[in-house]
Amino acid sequence: MSRRRGIAALFAALTLLPGIALAHKESDAYVTLRTDPRNPNELHGQWDIALRDLDFAIGLDSNHDGKITWGEVQAHRGAIERYALASLTIKGDGLTCPITPEGQMIDDHTDGAYDVIPFTARCDKEVPDRLTLSYHLFEGIDPYHRGIMTIHAHDHTSGAVLGPEDPTTTLDINRPNRWRQFRSFVFDGILHIWTGPDHLLFIVSLLLPAVLICRRRPVTPFDPGLWKPVEDFWPAVLELFKVISGFTVSHSVTLSLAVLGYVDLPSRLVESGIALSVILASFNNVFPIFKTRAWLVAFGFGFVHGVGFASGLAGLRLPPAAMAASLGGFNVGVEIGQESVVFPLIAMAFAIRSTRFYRVGVIRVGSWLIAAVAAIWLVQRAFGILIPGLGFLTPV
Amino acid sequence: MFAAAQSEVRLVAIADGASGGVTVWLWLAACLWAMPCLADQGTPYIPSGGDVVLQTVPSIADPRVRAFQALRAQQTARPRDMALAVRLSAAYLDYGRDTGDARYLGRSAAVIAPWMILHPVPIPVLLVHATILQSKHYFSAARADLIDILERQPNDAQALLTLATVAQVQGDFETTRQACRYLLSAGDPFSPLVCLSSLNSITGHAAASARVLRALWPRAYSQPLPIQSWMQGIMADTAKYLGDDAAADQHFQEALQLAPGDNFLLADYGDFLLDQHRPRAALELVKDYSQSDTSFLRQVYAEVALHSPRAQSDIEQMARRLAALDQRGSRTYRREEAGFALYVEHDPLRALKLAEENWTVQRAPEDMRVFLEAALAAHEPRAAQPVLDQLARSHFEYRAVVKLADRARHILVQSPSAARAAAAAAPGARAAATGRGR
Repeated sequence: MSRRRGIAALFAALTLLPGIALAHKESDAYVTLRTDPRNPNELHGQWDIALRDLDFAIGLDSNHDGKITWGEVQAHRGAIERYALASLTIKGDGLTCPITPEGQMIDDHTDGAYDVIPFTARCDKEVPDRLTLSYHLFEGIDPYHRGIMTIHAHDHTSGAVLGPEDPTTTLDINRPNRWRQFRSFVFDGILHIWTGPDHLLFIVSLLLPAVLICRRRPVTPFDPGLWKPVEDFWPAVLELFKVISGFTVSHSVTLSLAVLGYVDLPSRLVESGIALSVILASFNNVFPIFKTRAWLVAFGFGFVHGVGFASGLAGLRLPPAAMAASLGGFNVGVEIGQESVVFPLIAMAFAIRSTRFYRVGVIRVGSWLIAAVAAIWLVQRAFGILIPGLGFLTPV
Repeated sequence: MFAAAQSEVRLVAIADGASGGVTVWLWLAACLWAMPCLADQGTPYIPSGGDVVLQTVPSIADPRVRAFQALRAQQTARPRDMALAVRLSAAYLDYGRDTGDARYLGRSAAVIAPWMILHPVPIPVLLVHATILQSKHYFSAARADLIDILERQPNDAQALLTLATVAQVQGDFETTRQACRYLLSAGDPFSPLVCLSSLNSITGHAAASARVLRALWPRAYSQPLPIQSWMQGIMADTAKYLGDDAAADQHFQEALQLAPGDNFLLADYGDFLLDQHRPRAALELVKDYSQSDTSFLRQVYAEVALHSPRAQSDIEQMARRLAALDQRGSRTYRREEAGFALYVEHDPLRALKLAEENWTVQRAPEDMRVFLEAALAAHEPRAAQPVLDQLARSHFEYRAVVKLADRARHILVQSPSAARAAAAAAPGARAAATGRGR
């Protein structure tokens, strides 16, 4: 065989070697952006770029030993930032948001170690709703490189895959729909009441006697005392209105203060306080102290319950407008939840107010039962224990 | 409280930048709601010291690396020199294919990019470009490049051989045969004969093909090691298709001795060992190459078969790697993904979907097999009709595939209800046979 032909065959046969010999994925980098709940002008970001790619592009392995150390990566920090940041722009509404690097870290991905550049993009004004990202990393070095963009904006995540052939994308970072947000918090508030029997029992205990007038206090535990049914429905409704309003006003105050971080009480204290309030409210029916001013009790203990409601919003850190929508919605939900239980109850109580069943069975026995349940909660919450066999009583 | 916990999931997704457990929720909520989910991202950290090694990269101790670095330096000095660019591009490509490092395909493509916008594209440039596309499994695009070359230069041996390879993977055996024959009339018979033998081994003439390869082998000694190894690999596959497992094993070992760590051979031999119920040997073979996705997948199969305590965490790792590929939009590994879905995740419907997608790209024996197995496991033998058609045309003899096809045909000729029952009675063909399943 002539030499020339031999070379041709060799070159040809090399190409014939099977084509699935790829061991792992090609070059990717990851850009993650987040809106800042406190500062609407800023985006916080993180850019992960493979050390192998950086080594190929700008040379990280200073001593050419085939090993990239943290020291070598640190030594090239400035070069990496200059190289990378020149290839990413964030724009919107004709406004460019310049990027400032804020450190250097490492992240291990499935295909090796990546240099991480945490950064902040600062826009002159509020971050625009439609963001345009232009990405040109490793252009001219690797046409198969991909930049995987992810934006977490408010309650919404969107993303795009960019590369030299398709370097630009416009992402709608969808401001949250306040009305939708408000509604969802209303729903949460309702659910919070319906699934939290302690709040309901408190209100119910206060309202049971609303359809009766106490003429003589009981003197022994078994003395029913002297109760007289109210004549009209409307005074009972007025009483209900006063109790609910008192409770609403005070719990709204502490709920807001707690969520905004101005009040921070240990949950054990708060939860025990709520249990105690239920005991006191139910005892008030057996040994009435506040005969006509149940609303004051509701108002007073409402402060404690408000802090308890705040546990439902734990960890909430929102920009002011979103915070207002959420808190307002949650409060409205709590009211709807209460009223949905209390109105039918009071109507029913009014209908059977003159029966012995109501005066003895409901007011007395019922109040004792409520007090017993609340006492169990108090013990469980104050001492942080679960009493065996009584788990079904524990509000979830 | 319940309501509190429930609202927290949603709330924290809105509450930005929260920490700890909340971050987990944030992440989860983000993943549930929107793609792309960050499959491939951990928590950034600061290494404990300056001398911590974070990443190994090609070292100049490797002569191939020295060679392409020297070419790179020259090319930077003479950026308009096309011959130099082609040499550098080919050097990157060869290195990428040798080591399985897919990043070098992109680097290779970047070097020739300035010439790819010319009309017509110079043939040497187009040839490298076609090979890059072939390596990326863009077979149709590679074919278009090759046809373009052959229209201008019908005797181009490399274009003909590459076309034969691409067409064979696509199941277009007529084009492969024509390309090999055309090559045979053009000059030295060694490459064309290996080319034809490779085709014959999957088109009903495996025994004849094995004889030809054996006869040709002495001539291979004068060829470079990669070619010898490649030929041993074809001999191994041919023996495997014939059911001569001892010979196949020996050829695989010889091939790997000639090309230690060859990524394709590791996967092929690993599969063979798993089929032979030798998961321990398979694990031994691939365990030092876990950087490679294809080797790591075989490691996972072996660990599952051995009930290894590492299996679970490695399954998760494999899933993360596949998710990272999906995230960039890569479809190169559909065959592997289908296998993973079927043998490890036991999700035959997903496996079938992936196998169907894979079939639109490649139609080699392993593609037939995973397609048939997924179709049977999913009780959808009709879905694998394209495989049955190709088998009917090609008379492929590999028992592992033929048996599956027979079962699919058998179910198909029965009534639909009987088909369902029969399929249910014999699930997980390979999973059961190889211990890849549970």
